Amino acid sequence: MMLHAQSTFPTNEGERVKYNAYIEMPRAYISGVSVLLKEGDVIKGSLFNEFGMTALDFTYDPKRQKVKLHHVVKMMDKWYIRRVVRKDMVQLMRCLQKGETQYNNERRHINYQFIPIEHEVTK
Amino acid sequence: MGWGDVYCTRLYVNSEIKMKKGLFIIYLLLTAHVTLMAQQSETQIRQKISQIASSMKTMQCDFIQTKHLKMLNDEMVSKGRMYYQQGNRLRWEYTSPYTYTFIINDDKVLLKNSQRNDVIDVNKNKVFKEIARIMMNSVVGNCLNDEKSFKSSLSVSGGAWVATLLPQRKDMKQMFQKIVLHFSQKQAMVTQVELIEKNGDRTIIDLKNIRTNEAISTNMFTIR
Repeated sequence: MMLHAQSTFPTNEGERVKYNAYIEMPRAYISGVSVLLKEGDVIKGSLFNEFGMTALDFTYDPKRQKVKLHHVVKMMDKWYIRRVVRKDMVQLMRCLQKGETQYNNERRHINYQFIPIEHEVTK
Repeated sequence: MGWGDVYCTRLYVNSEIKMKKGLFIIYLLLTAHVTLMAQQSETQIRQKISQIASSMKTMQCDFIQTKHLKMLNDEMVSKGRMYYQQGNRLRWEYTSPYTYTFIINDDKVLLKNSQRNDVIDVNKNKVFKEIARIMMNSVVGNCLNDEKSFKSSLSVSGGAWVATLLPQRKDMKQMFQKIVLHFSQKQAMVTQVELIEKNGDRTIIDLKNIRTNEAISTNMFTIR
């Protein structure tokens, strides 16, 4: 899916992009919200469910093409899950940079879909 | 210094010790009285909240959820509507900026977003059973008396009763540092739920336009 009308990735200092996030796995499904923020040389990111419970906090370094996981919810905090998430997030970030809103890990059958939220709500 | 001076000094010291003892006893009595008063009123508050919760047949309200992201120094606001019916029925519906509906009806849970619907049997899913139980109990304030799940304390702040709940169950401890419930003193009902996570993120849910004991269509809790 390509989106041209709106930004799919933060490129300017302090810019934020919020997404509806859907992650489909062979035996599980996660949905929620993700926020990406451009700060200095890195992109700071967070993924949480609709109720606000954080699953991941990470930073993405576009130059080095690396993702560092800062917080992973306990039930996902296993070395083999971290490894997959880290690699997949790099690929997903690259897709978002190109304006694509989807990344499919064909080997593990995991589909990531991050669709930018058009209208923000204020209190 | 003569014997007379020594005697006077001893008398003075003795009377000072007696006075200090007396003051200490008064202090102890006052402290005990204040503690007893606090305990009594805390018990009364708990009873009142419990009484209101058990008399609440239905509840409906709007809610504003504000998620504070510590690492990004940002917040995400979402809005929606909530319906509760005594007997394990809850509809929690986000309307903006995303649509997402969570319905609990006895032992079934429906998760519905713009892409799919999922029905979960809570008896086969321990995590969802916990989530469903906590959500139902938080909304009406029953969490306060759930001693197996939470160690709770009560305080008064700005015209509200504030209950601080420290999770006791392992799975809850992994997710939350604490849960803070704000009760309106006038209605003895929850008006704000604050969830503080392990990573320092906070989610504040403000309940607005609360209406109780009005009929709610059973369709609101239908799971298909």
